[in-house]
Amino acid sequence: MITRQPEWSKPFTADALQKLTPVLPLDNITREWAWEGGTGKGVKVAVIDSGIDASHPAIGAPLSGYVTVIEKPEGMLLDTAPHGDSYGHGTACAGIIRSLAPDCELYSIKVLGEGLSGRSTVFAAGLRWAIENGMHACNLSLGTTKKDFYALLHELTDLAYFRNVVLVTAANNMPVPSFPSVYASVISVAAHEGKDPFVFYYNPHPPVEFGAPGIDVRVAWKNGEWLTTTGNSFAAPHITGIIARILSKHPGLTVFQIKAILRALSSNMTRDGSEHQV
Amino acid sequence: MDDESLTEGQNGLSQAHKTIAEQQAEIEQLRSRLANENFTQVLRTALITASTAATIASPVTHSQLLEMIVATAAHILSAQAASLFLIDNHTQELIFEVALGQKADEVKKFRIPLGHGIAGLVAVSGQPMAVANAESDLRQASDVARAVGYVPRNILCVPLVYNDRTIGVLELLDKTGDSSFGIDDMHVLSMFANQAAVAIEQSRMHDSLVPLIVEVLQSAGGIAEQTKEELQQQALDFITAIEESPAYHNAMKLARLIHEISWQGDEELKLCYVILSNFAEYLRARAKATSELGWL
Repeated sequence: MITRQPEWSKPFTADALQKLTPVLPLDNITREWAWEGGTGKGVKVAVIDSGIDASHPAIGAPLSGYVTVIEKPEGMLLDTAPHGDSYGHGTACAGIIRSLAPDCELYSIKVLGEGLSGRSTVFAAGLRWAIENGMHACNLSLGTTKKDFYALLHELTDLAYFRNVVLVTAANNMPVPSFPSVYASVISVAAHEGKDPFVFYYNPHPPVEFGAPGIDVRVAWKNGEWLTTTGNSFAAPHITGIIARILSKHPGLTVFQIKAILRALSSNMTRDGSEHQV
Repeated sequence: MDDESLTEGQNGLSQAHKTIAEQQAEIEQLRSRLANENFTQVLRTALITASTAATIASPVTHSQLLEMIVATAAHILSAQAASLFLIDNHTQELIFEVALGQKADEVKKFRIPLGHGIAGLVAVSGQPMAVANAESDLRQASDVARAVGYVPRNILCVPLVYNDRTIGVLELLDKTGDSSFGIDDMHVLSMFANQAAVAIEQSRMHDSLVPLIVEVLQSAGGIAEQTKEELQQQALDFITAIEESPAYHNAMKLARLIHEISWQGDEELKLCYVILSNFAEYLRARAKATSELGWL
């Protein structure tokens, strides 16, 4: 017996996509107001992933900081020496963010390295560092399926919310919930088939609230390579990049304000009865 | 079981085979319609349900079942090759459990370090991933493939997750008639991965008995080292004795039979239960009768 599980990208397909009606004057804002001219300057963005290869052309400018989280018997070791990317996944996410917000201050928080042991605790430690060290936005294209971490990650995501740290998480494509992407305090993203980086959709039926490009997207990879790949992992950094642009124009916005702005400017919002034009 | 029941069973089996054949034919028919009409998603759901039901209803062993899950997934998603890897936690490598395709026998010889290539990355991250244009894009992902002279054009890989733990990955190579695997393919393969993970963990239950006991004893606090070692040895002796006993083997054979019958469906399992319950009742009654005639 097979139980059909949520397919998080489904709400963003052409047939299923729900048109949104603007709530005026709340939704009476424009993309020009929100991010036009914003480059991410002054916005600290953490990529919590496998590291970033700063020498990749897609990254463009140097990184502002590095943290490698290493689990030792005596506790967590946070190494701030520059590191590379073990797999390419973090470089892919960082490349997308920089393509949208070229001047953002990128921080690589490496929680996925060699070996599997204790990676959820390492992940949580990396997230805590980001929240407590002044990051404005964090890209989490990783998560954990371990229920043991449900409460710890819940506490951390709430802490981020109260401190105005925007957590952008990739929804899991697997039939298992992945934490923290299912929490209300984060911005959860799944992939849609479009290629335009500024086309994103709002889904009025969460937990996955936003859809962004993540299907057959060309991304940076390790060793200076490029890859055409599919996964929600690559949808999340599109939203992170747009948020960095918004925050560079409007510093100090809260997480709920950013969610409201993204909803208002989503491509399925109707304007005068027609679909919002990009 | 009397002759009549046997005949009934055989009839049931041939009926099941017939049903499976009919479903296969229907699947083929649906597949050809799929190429022409634009309701991919609806049909895909039907295909999965029919095909997976047929697969699960087949009387097979776990390894056959795994192979069938992988083969059915490859068939449904039009992949030219498929592999199922399991994680060896000790060596931090991926080991081929099932490999289907032109170069299956050759690729089976390889072990892939965790984190290496797409399969290794999916195993470590637990996140599914699809890659298009692998041939030109992804030199590091196709080391194994190149070593055996088969370089995939596109890849779809999803983790096998059981009880919150990634235990392996399921990977498809080269989608026929399409440039790459899509997000729908990812969802579908995830469902097959789910089935495979359950099958694997069921077959592991017995295999993991010895390491489990050793682990429990090792982690037990407050026990002197010598006592711990003695207990460990006793546990191992006990398990060895059990495994070598003919009674254990007979019980295992019976368990496998019941398990096989359970795959046939609820009706078959119910019949099996009724027969065995009646037989057990008869034995209990016989024992009671014997004791009633004993010494007071």
